[in-house]
Amino acid sequence: MLLTMAWSVNNLFVIIGLVSLGHAAYSATQHRTYLRLTEQEFTWLPADILAQCVLSLLLTCYGIVQVSGEFKDIRAAGELENKTWETLSNRPSFYTFNHRGKALYADMEDHMQEDVS
Amino acid sequence: MRNRKSRFLTQFLTRKDKMAYSMSVAEAKAFLRKVREDQIRCSKKIVDIWEEVLVKNSFSLGEEVWLVYEQVCLAALDCAQLDIAEGCYQALKAQFPNSLRVRKLEGMILEAEEEYDRAMAIYEDILEKDETNAIATKRIIAILKAQNKIQDAVEKLNKYLKEHSLDTEAWLELCDMYLHELDYNKAAFCIEECILSNPHNHLYHQKLGEIKYSQCEYQEARSYFAHAAKLNPNNMRALFGLHLSATNLVSSQKGTQKTENARHAAWAAKQIKDRYKTQLGKNRSGDVKIVEDMLEALKMSSS
Repeated sequence: MLLTMAWSVNNLFVIIGLVSLGHAAYSATQHRTYLRLTEQEFTWLPADILAQCVLSLLLTCYGIVQVSGEFKDIRAAGELENKTWETLSNRPSFYTFNHRGKALYADMEDHMQEDVS
Repeated sequence: MRNRKSRFLTQFLTRKDKMAYSMSVAEAKAFLRKVREDQIRCSKKIVDIWEEVLVKNSFSLGEEVWLVYEQVCLAALDCAQLDIAEGCYQALKAQFPNSLRVRKLEGMILEAEEEYDRAMAIYEDILEKDETNAIATKRIIAILKAQNKIQDAVEKLNKYLKEHSLDTEAWLELCDMYLHELDYNKAAFCIEECILSNPHNHLYHQKLGEIKYSQCEYQEARSYFAHAAKLNPNNMRALFGLHLSATNLVSSQKGTQKTENARHAAWAAKQIKDRYKTQLGKNRSGDVKIVEDMLEALKMSSS
């Protein structure tokens, strides 16, 4: 999918942001392991890891918003606009069958055989 | 009397191709599913698709085959092809012998043959077994409607709606029955119930506007049409209704209200012309003149 997508700056932002976020997470776990090995207390992550985390989050958010395109309006009656009056006024529970369909759509072969017999 | 089961088979075996439906089985399945979801009543097309494509491939429908059988059965009843309907019903009955839904189909087949007494007996039997069964009640009302006993149908439907007051379909049916009896007040009440439960549906507002217009209450009609046009700017009937009710008000009012309504009428007329223009496109822009002439004629007759 990566190869077939149309490349743009925003796609690049998203990918760089995600990679950077992953890198920040990896650095954080590395830092904690280091503290555990040297038997120091864990209070704060170093400032650079925090900064990388926040900046990559913002970059990813910006990139995704740009990639996903224009927001559509939430129209309450959106789906109804495409339906016709005839279809919306169909009431399947109350269908009756004494209409012109008998004359229009009945099988002509049946009628012809009835006349012959 | 014909043996319907044998006629179903002979028709399948000796069929001549009437309509060349070059649909694949997958396309046919998708089409039938869409028709089921949108509740479109295109019975002839369903029966043709069934005969051309699916009856030979019914095994490939999988679990949907029972829904398709029901759908084709109802479509065949509309097209008066009772042998197809009977065949589908027999298949369903073999699979679901104790189902009330299949019994309802049996009743509907009898209704299509105009054997209303026997159909009524079946539905009353269903109601004895299950008193709250809404479907059987509605079919009894449909039988009364088919026999043109509108008063009885209205009574029964009112009784049904006392218990099931959220059933929009039933309210719409009652509205149409009152309109058939020209009882506009009660029809307006019914459609107001529908609006209460679906306030965003522009078609209900438009219908209520039309009922009010028929009662010559142009002020209220105008507001309902305006609301419908606001909800869906492409609703031509609402735009026409708005134009007509505003024009009617112009002739009966004076002063600022008169100019207001003239403005509304002109706005509606412009919207109608624009929509016709976009639909007709560049090639037939001369035809827009026909619309303009018609709108002018409407103006002259109501003032």
